[in-house]
Amino acid sequence: MTDWGLAIKIACGGFSLVFIILVTLAISIKLTKVITERIIKDKQ
Amino acid sequence: MFGLLESGFHLFYWGNALMIVIGLGFIYLAIGKKMEPLLLIPIGFGMILVNLPLSGVMDYEMQLRAPQAGIVMEVQMNEESHFKKGVPVCKLDSGEVKTPVFGRIDSIRVFPGQRVAKGDIIASIITMEQTDQSVLPTKPIGLLSIIFKFGVMWQILPPLMFLCLGALTDFGPMLANPKTLLLGAAAQFGVYLAFFFSLFFGFTLPEAASIGIIGGAEGPTTIYVTSILAPHIIGATAVACYSYMALVPIILPPVIYLLTTKKERAIYMKPQLRKVSKLEKVLFPLIGTVIVILFVPSSAPLIGCFMVGNLFRESGVTERLSKTAQTTLVDIVTIFLTLAIGASMPAQNFLQPKTLFILVLGVVAFASAAGAGVILAKIMNLFLKEKINPMIGAAGVSAVPMSARVVQVMGQKANKKNFLLMHAMGPNVAGAIGAAIAGGVFLGILR
Repeated sequence: MTDWGLAIKIACGGFSLVFIILVTLAISIKLTKVITERIIKDKQ
Repeated sequence: MFGLLESGFHLFYWGNALMIVIGLGFIYLAIGKKMEPLLLIPIGFGMILVNLPLSGVMDYEMQLRAPQAGIVMEVQMNEESHFKKGVPVCKLDSGEVKTPVFGRIDSIRVFPGQRVAKGDIIASIITMEQTDQSVLPTKPIGLLSIIFKFGVMWQILPPLMFLCLGALTDFGPMLANPKTLLLGAAAQFGVYLAFFFSLFFGFTLPEAASIGIIGGAEGPTTIYVTSILAPHIIGATAVACYSYMALVPIILPPVIYLLTTKKERAIYMKPQLRKVSKLEKVLFPLIGTVIVILFVPSSAPLIGCFMVGNLFRESGVTERLSKTAQTTLVDIVTIFLTLAIGASMPAQNFLQPKTLFILVLGVVAFASAAGAGVILAKIMNLFLKEKINPMIGAAGVSAVPMSARVVQVMGQKANKKNFLLMHAMGPNVAGAIGAAIAGGVFLGILR
């Protein structure tokens, strides 16, 4: 007997988590770009 | 033959013939049509080998044990008897002892009148069925069953393959345009849609997760998740994933045409992506590893291997390791993994209604993943000043680099000035990370 409640939690939670993680990665990429450009600029 | 050697002729049946034809079909696609030859040739050949009776390449030994104590009333099979699943081997006064798998008897260890305790060995069985080792432990005794057990079931080959993929992957296009990570995330919708449909068709939660992850379009992730959650369907899910990766040029275009207008397909994207510094390329695998694994610890083997492979590539000081991972190691792992996967499809296991459902759900997973990526790209265009061509959303189906190439070809057809390959590589690569995360989530909850 399928536990539909658990299935919905897994699907919605899992999909949301994938989005949250990839958005966090996207933000970290932007931040890394800003910081690395500053480091390179300071070196120059 | 001559009373000395048992040939396979008398055990060869229509199921074996059909599987051999399918294996030959894969080999034809690989050699004749040049579709993913590195994958389809070993998979096809493995299918042929395992469907030649008594080849032994994929044999496992299992001890059939008495489920309850009793006295043996009758032994209903002989040594070398072949049987299907659920057939009685012997009758005890307390009940029947039935075979939990298909296979043949290697040796009978009891005789009528013998008293057996619960757990005593009734017979030694040879089978080709993949079982849950915690319930029905088996010992591999064939060449490919040994590779399968210690390479696939011990979860060594899939993460190693991911390491090689990391070394082969250039994150530059994704780092140049981080918005594309969202498109890779959207494509994981296919995973969860197939997961739900699988439950409707009566599959269990672990089986549904193993079928859903086909939508991630990553062979190693599919094999890794299925080997843990539902090893008995690993042949079907792996062949579905690898086959549909080869068929991406056929699956993606109809989905794209259905969801986009001619004007949208012709949206021009400037070919020049910003230059990504070496420091960014070195930092991303490190930062990515920490972030993803803190969120989803069970994705560590896949994400960790993916990122360390990429670090070998980008660090500039591990050229030997990078070169090995991109060439020799990936070839060795591909040979072992795909031969073993091909050999995990004996007819008795593969030719079941369940398999047909898995193959259909696999297509649903792929198509809906592509569709979700396109739809999110169209939604993003409502808010973006510089529009993105929605076709690149379909490249979130992470069959790297085939999806991106399909988008490139379609982009050129719609607008000759458009060069979408590098733009499409962003979601393509992001989809690989997304698939590994989705797999990790399933494992974290269902293992």
